[in-house]
Amino acid sequence: MKARMLERADVLKIVDLLRQQGYEVFAPFSGRGRDTWFDLVNDENRDRIQVHLPNPYYPPKRFVLPHIERLLKVRRSNGEIQIEPTYRERKRALFGIRSCDLAGIWHLDRFYLGRDFRDVYYEKRRKNLFLVNVVCTDPERDIGEECFCPCADTGPAARDHFDLQLMDLGGEFMAVAGTPAGEALFAHSMFKQGTEAQVEKRHAILSEVRKRFKTTTSWFPATVRYVSQGNILEKTWEDIGNRCLECGGCTYVCPACTCFTVSDRQVGPDEIERVRIWDACALSGFTRMAGGFNPRRAVHDRRNRRFFRKLAHYFIQRELSMACVGCGRCAAVCHGDVGMPSVVEMIRRATAANDKIQPV
Amino acid sequence: MNCEAHSAGSPVAATENIYLPKLAVLDRVSDNIPEVKTFFWHFEDAAEQAQFRRFRPGQFAQVSLFGLGEFPASLPPSPTEDETFFTIRQVGSCTAALHQLKPGDKFAVRGPYGNGFSMEDYYGKNLVFVAGGIGLIPLRSCIVYALKHRDQYQRIQIFYGSKTPKELMYLPNLREWQQSAGVECYLTVDRAADSWSGNVGVVGSLFKKPGVQVPVDNTMAFVCGPPIMFRFVIKDLLAMGFREGDIVSTLERYMKCGVGKCGHCCIGVAYVCVDGPVFTYEQIKKLGEDI
Repeated sequence: MKARMLERADVLKIVDLLRQQGYEVFAPFSGRGRDTWFDLVNDENRDRIQVHLPNPYYPPKRFVLPHIERLLKVRRSNGEIQIEPTYRERKRALFGIRSCDLAGIWHLDRFYLGRDFRDVYYEKRRKNLFLVNVVCTDPERDIGEECFCPCADTGPAARDHFDLQLMDLGGEFMAVAGTPAGEALFAHSMFKQGTEAQVEKRHAILSEVRKRFKTTTSWFPATVRYVSQGNILEKTWEDIGNRCLECGGCTYVCPACTCFTVSDRQVGPDEIERVRIWDACALSGFTRMAGGFNPRRAVHDRRNRRFFRKLAHYFIQRELSMACVGCGRCAAVCHGDVGMPSVVEMIRRATAANDKIQPV
Repeated sequence: MNCEAHSAGSPVAATENIYLPKLAVLDRVSDNIPEVKTFFWHFEDAAEQAQFRRFRPGQFAQVSLFGLGEFPASLPPSPTEDETFFTIRQVGSCTAALHQLKPGDKFAVRGPYGNGFSMEDYYGKNLVFVAGGIGLIPLRSCIVYALKHRDQYQRIQIFYGSKTPKELMYLPNLREWQQSAGVECYLTVDRAADSWSGNVGVVGSLFKKPGVQVPVDNTMAFVCGPPIMFRFVIKDLLAMGFREGDIVSTLERYMKCGVGKCGHCCIGVAYVCVDGPVFTYEQIKKLGEDI
């Protein structure tokens, strides 16, 4: 991939450049404390964009799979019914998406577009989305308590799936082009030629940054093996289930969760719209059928479901990536401390405790 | 932009909207048993109708009642029949609304979805159908299909039971099958009424009746019914010597999309909507959830 250098003061000019090209640009902002979010950039807030900040809890997944998305508009008039699909095709750019969330979008790409039934709503949003990845390099501001992307091998620096990647090398930034569209930006005079020494410096910084993560022992390979082989005791799932408050928060903040429900709502006297809404397998109604039969009643069955879907080898092979990207959001929001790193640890411990060693 | 991912996967040419249902017109309604009605319908658009008619036995469709939502429904007709219909029990708000529709009213349908039964793979085999209650709805398609291709199969047996004689589904079909020379059709009810002269007892009790001989070798068993009936019938069939891979059934799950996206029907590694709804008992056992 081709790389160029950029003055620190010029970084936000990329936002200006994209806006000039007709993109609606979303970028991260911060309020008090841990409060951070992605917002639409305008002339007024442009200077307040943050390059280094804790990753917002509300994942940028919503730019390809909105929390609530209209699928159809249905109108009734004189006994006739008109069904009209509604699409959103505006050009959008996401400035400052973190490597973990980028891996989340890649996972969603495979899920929504890589199979028999392509999702046209997802596709239209996705193909109009330009992604500017920012590498997490600041241990104080970028890396949170719960971040564990090195365990999921999605960060701190994404290897691909971005249009443009920015990395703070101290004095200046290195820009890496991941697609022809990203490379096209290099035509602007603010991008200067780079040197081998700067590439070396990038490697050196990344090696240092990796050491600054607090959670580095989320052993996925072993857990994937245990889950796929069905070696996990029912008792372990029960322990995990007992700690789940069934709030659905983990799913809500997850950049790789895909499930949704569909609902019709009245929007006018003769008009309804059909929307899809993020749904969570933690909620008891998720599998409840008309008539009341629910094949998945116990909460630990539902927790089992979530972690099985994320960790089973079958799904990793099918989507070519794991449905956990190591962002740590679930660990941050879970009141019962059954976010992914804890679950991986609980499974490992329970499996180890199961080893029977008999002194002879 | 960064779209390599878009070319991955299966070669579907133009992207069509997988969530877009097409308008259907209700032709007529026939009563079956209490709370269950059969709805005969066709697509408003003839091309749509022709495309839909390529369904296989065991597949299903998503039925839309705008303002209320969508629900998955089995396709009881065989593709060899001319009419298209659903047989629906009134259980929730959507099905209740469907039950209120009058001929000429419109609703919407998309599909057909799911794997269906591979009836061609069973050529040359005996077929044993075991159904309980409204479990006959998905199996009706296979039975009619098999009888239409009667020469392709060896023996065909139907074992069907309901709670009471009033709750026997598709009565005209049952009479026809009972009288047909090519089929052995046995009926039973849990509780008899005065007019009932047939067998009383659970479906499994039919297997042991004098004169009934269930072929086991070179046989496919189709089992559909309520969970309790399913468990007991499976036990009986396995005791008779059926292999787990030779018993097929259809699973029912809550579904929102029908196309492997919404996640509601996923059990273990299988999405019931795209990997099923037809599974062998061997597969069902491995999925690890109640039927």
